[in-house]
Amino acid sequence: MDKAISVKALTIAYGAATAISAVDLDIAKGKVTVLAGPNGCGKSTLLRAIRRLHQPKSGEIRLGDMPISGLKEKELARHIGLLAQSPSAPDDMSVEELVRLGRYPHQTMLQPWSAADADAIQAAMFGTGVSHLAERRLGSLSGGQLQRVWIAMVLAQETDIICLDEPVNHLDMAHQIDCLDLVGRLNREHGRTVVLVLHDLNLAARYADRLVFMKDGSMVADGAPVELMREALIEDVFGISCRVIEDPVHNRPLCIPIRNSSPRFGAAPAA
Amino acid sequence: MPLASSNTSIRVPRRIGRHALFSGLAVLLLILMYLSLAIGYRLYSPAEIWRAVTAFDGSEAHVVIRDLRLPRALMAPLVGAALGIAGVLVQTLSRNRIASPDTLGLNAGAAFAVVMASGLFGVASLPGLSLAAAAGALATSLLVFGLAAAAGGISPLRIVLVGVTFAGLFDSFVNVVLTVNETMLDQLLFWLAGSFADRKLSLALNGLPFVLVGGGIAFYLARSLDILQTDDSTARGLGVPLGVVRGLSFVAVALLSGASVAMAGPVLFVGLVVPHAARALVGLEHRLQIVAAALVGAVYTTLADIVARFVIFPREAPVGAVTAIVGGCLLLLLLRRRAA
Repeated sequence: MDKAISVKALTIAYGAATAISAVDLDIAKGKVTVLAGPNGCGKSTLLRAIRRLHQPKSGEIRLGDMPISGLKEKELARHIGLLAQSPSAPDDMSVEELVRLGRYPHQTMLQPWSAADADAIQAAMFGTGVSHLAERRLGSLSGGQLQRVWIAMVLAQETDIICLDEPVNHLDMAHQIDCLDLVGRLNREHGRTVVLVLHDLNLAARYADRLVFMKDGSMVADGAPVELMREALIEDVFGISCRVIEDPVHNRPLCIPIRNSSPRFGAAPAA
Repeated sequence: MPLASSNTSIRVPRRIGRHALFSGLAVLLLILMYLSLAIGYRLYSPAEIWRAVTAFDGSEAHVVIRDLRLPRALMAPLVGAALGIAGVLVQTLSRNRIASPDTLGLNAGAAFAVVMASGLFGVASLPGLSLAAAAGALATSLLVFGLAAAAGGISPLRIVLVGVTFAGLFDSFVNVVLTVNETMLDQLLFWLAGSFADRKLSLALNGLPFVLVGGGIAFYLARSLDILQTDDSTARGLGVPLGVVRGLSFVAVALLSGASVAMAGPVLFVGLVVPHAARALVGLEHRLQIVAAALVGAVYTTLADIVARFVIFPREAPVGAVTAIVGGCLLLLLLRRRAA
């Protein structure tokens, strides 16, 4: 397996609280890796650490052979793109103005705008189907359009690795599929390595080449969706009893949740 | 690695006629600067103005033109440009469109320093008060930035909170001192209201380098400032060193506001209104926003300075009051148009 990123014995703490502890993970080049787990399991922290938004307490992250701690800000931004969770920009910014921001890591004081920048912006907007929205203000877009525009901004960055932190939150079902299909296409047709954080286990199983389960800051399991989507394992990680069947359309495992096995909101009184 | 090729080319600079816009504003500014020399309590012909500059003969007209009119014709646009750029920086830095150098307490800090200098050390001369104002603005910006950055990273919200707190504190101090000491109120009111009148040319020349350096820093940071308009995670993901950019922006704001408050006292509302006008004209890219804000700010204060000579003719109104009244109306107009 060709490694895009390798995480070694990574521990990250917010003050005294440990967010993730001793995580080892290799992220395969050209594959879609999905980090999944219950709320607060550390999946977003791990993703953000890969983009160096958190300083490790111990351990190391390597990009290929280079430790990311040694890279300059812009250099790292030319390798790894990040779509943050619930990103924000002014409502009166135009779509094109936002997508242009993606070129920042490629620009210098002496070479502010090049033909390559214009090409990248054009290709990113075309690839995400937002070219016709170029002059529109962000505040006038629907949630689905807005998410495509943000993905276009990350694409304009032209990085080999793209990290997306819960990109389909707040989107309706059609736009969730639309957005993840787009991400899948970037991976298949353009060979981008994709790392996703997803809440929805069934979407994770459908789009992942490789699934990573996290719980309480540790990595619990990692493998192909068919290996990980087992009833006992899901119950252990997500605290919910379930039935796993095969999705008859995509032939991927599909989880049908049944009952919360570790109630968080108080159990019904025993009979 | 382009995703797909397409023949429709993207117009790299958005919005047409940008050069025409900038040239138009520059021409307007020159006309206003000329009017600032020519009209007021007395009117002077172009020939007379020319002679006063090239062949000074010591006549009353020449003294008025050279010593009274020329300094303010140069200082008004300088202060307007400085406050316009400072306003853009503060609004981007705080991600808050109703923030301005006033919000950060810089003018209040300057006023406080002026009152202290006058009360404790008996400073009465304009150069002395200017120096105190500059020191007060710089000290306040250090204080605000230091406190906003103290607890870990500096956040846009904390900048505004700390700034508003100091603005309120310093304003109250000034009010208390001036209520107790009416003589001082009489002496300082001309300064506290903001004015370009009775300034020496040397004051404008001393302010110029600070405005140039502050404006230069802002222009140098333009690309990073574009990205500062997004959330912190996105900005860092794009490779912007947030701490460095915010720190440098603060230095620029301190230089620009400090220089303008030293030259003219607190000229209110310019730093708030001008960035809105600049964005309406050229969009959100800072490279353009900064140039537009400098030009619009210069036009605005120069015009306000001329208007101030006539609103309560033959006396002069404080220019700070004019910019605040006109600015308030302009802002309401902009908001109404935005809402429509």
